[in-house]
Amino acid sequence: MQSKTNTHLQDLDYLFFDEATLRQFIVYLQTRAEVIAPHAKGERSYMYKPVKDAKEVVLNYPRTIQPLKKFFLPPTETLLTFKLSDNQYVEQTPEPGKRIFFGIHSYELQAILRLDYSFEKGNPESNYLTRRANALFIGISYKPDAYHFGKSVGIEIEKTDGFSLFIEPMENGYFIFIVDEAGRTLLEGFQAPQTQALVFEQQEKEFHNKIKYHHNRLPEVFEHAYHSDVWKDVSQRCLGCGTCNLLCPTCYCFDVRDEIELDAENGTRQRFWDGCMLHDFTRVAGDEVFRDKLHNRTRHRLFRKFKYITDHSGELSCVGCGRCTSFCPAKISIVEIINQLIKDVSEVKSI
Amino acid sequence: MSKPKVAFFDFTSCEGCQLNKLNFENDLLDMLKLVDIVEFREAMDNRADEYDIAFIEGSISSPTCVERIHDIRRRTKILVALGQCAVSGGINAMKNDQPSEWVRETVYGEDKYLFPSLPAMPVSAVVKVDYEIRGCPMSPPEYLHVLKSLLLGRKPELKDYAVCVECKLKENECVLDKGMFCLGPVTRAGCEAICPSFGQYCTGCRGPVSDLNKDGAVNMLKAHGFSEAEAIKRMKMFNTNDLEKTISWGAK
Repeated sequence: MQSKTNTHLQDLDYLFFDEATLRQFIVYLQTRAEVIAPHAKGERSYMYKPVKDAKEVVLNYPRTIQPLKKFFLPPTETLLTFKLSDNQYVEQTPEPGKRIFFGIHSYELQAILRLDYSFEKGNPESNYLTRRANALFIGISYKPDAYHFGKSVGIEIEKTDGFSLFIEPMENGYFIFIVDEAGRTLLEGFQAPQTQALVFEQQEKEFHNKIKYHHNRLPEVFEHAYHSDVWKDVSQRCLGCGTCNLLCPTCYCFDVRDEIELDAENGTRQRFWDGCMLHDFTRVAGDEVFRDKLHNRTRHRLFRKFKYITDHSGELSCVGCGRCTSFCPAKISIVEIINQLIKDVSEVKSI
Repeated sequence: MSKPKVAFFDFTSCEGCQLNKLNFENDLLDMLKLVDIVEFREAMDNRADEYDIAFIEGSISSPTCVERIHDIRRRTKILVALGQCAVSGGINAMKNDQPSEWVRETVYGEDKYLFPSLPAMPVSAVVKVDYEIRGCPMSPPEYLHVLKSLLLGRKPELKDYAVCVECKLKENECVLDKGMFCLGPVTRAGCEAICPSFGQYCTGCRGPVSDLNKDGAVNMLKAHGFSEAEAIKRMKMFNTNDLEKTISWGAK
């Protein structure tokens, strides 16, 4: 498996913003493009949405409910409208302007890079790629909670690949690192107030949630995992609700459905997120369901993250965001599943 | 071509599903351009002999119900169960868990012999049901989807996944995560997750998904701080028949 170089923050040029300057910077960004950033949602959750008031942007958050994919592959999307009588249709093509995604964690952008791989290959997915073309990302580091495990899948908190700027929050302000030329241009346009020259020292952040093996050994673990008892054990607790699929930042499966208006004449073709954990996902003509059992579906989901796509792309399709575990109503832990598989495999090998 | 003849019938129910249909003020007139409503006790007096589509509301809970539903089945081409009482027995089926004599005595007192009663059954326990529109009350968009599909000669696409899916598509904050009770992970979608979207929890009014992990659901609720007895009691509110899988005849 190839490992990309992880840019070290120390090697990058940086500025230092205090709180007020950072908020002004968001306002400045809004003059350049639509800015999308994390906001509080409900009582104790977070979601990405377009910024209306820079003061409402939340910079210290564990993870949002829906991942960033919602801006490139919307949960529901009209693909075309049609007319039954003359058999005509009009495709709906997205026309997004330039968008700046602000305050994004490294695992989230890594997930987008994995979706790029899947949607560029073979038959390119034009709606996704059109939306993707005009996007710019400004990253931020985060404090891992009980569910994050980015490091275990090779994605450090400060992995800057794909970002234009990267923010490191400190007690009294923010270091803003310049990652690429687009980022430098953005900063040059902003008349930042002069602040005293602070020297950045990288602080280690500890992940509490860990996979026992190094990430480049995981595809090998999955070579031996197909017949493991783990799948049936997990399916005792799993309710098959599909939350893990829908909120996974690298899951991209969708279904397409036609809906006719009440005039029985005009209609729309809708696309919406689907998931391999759902019972009817594999229902085919003739009413056969070929992954009828929950344990088969759980296994398939994990193999899609650690083996099937990895065999082609060389990258794990899990980015360690922890959504599938933290939002699971039954609190099934993906890290525990993998650690159990590792235990099984190492026991078999030691015989 | 003449318009399809549509009829509505009510059995043991609150008639709320039918009423819900009269509430489509924006769509009602458009709908009437496509169909002839030939029988609808709640809205008109007319009667007819034959129907293309019969919508049945309510559960089957008396010998008279059995006779009537057989008669309707003979006279209609397509029969659709409308709402949870018709689909599964719904909330009426709570009585199936109690001794039938006690139930009748509580309701009718000493006149109980004048009112023969059966366990509350889904329509499908007595006659063939072609399509089911779930929910208490049924969801108007789903009803319109079924009606439009049948008029166009298509098979309606009814959802057999959890309410969680619709919550996640809408990016609702999880009510379980807020510390509330919820049956969304095991209840069939199709309601657009209307209760969680407005701060309520899912009561399971659309019945369980077809591959229900019942023990898993009870354990999930226990992990969220509900006792096993409470978990089962709340799951049974709309779903006694589904959870028991056999219809109890109350002989306890």
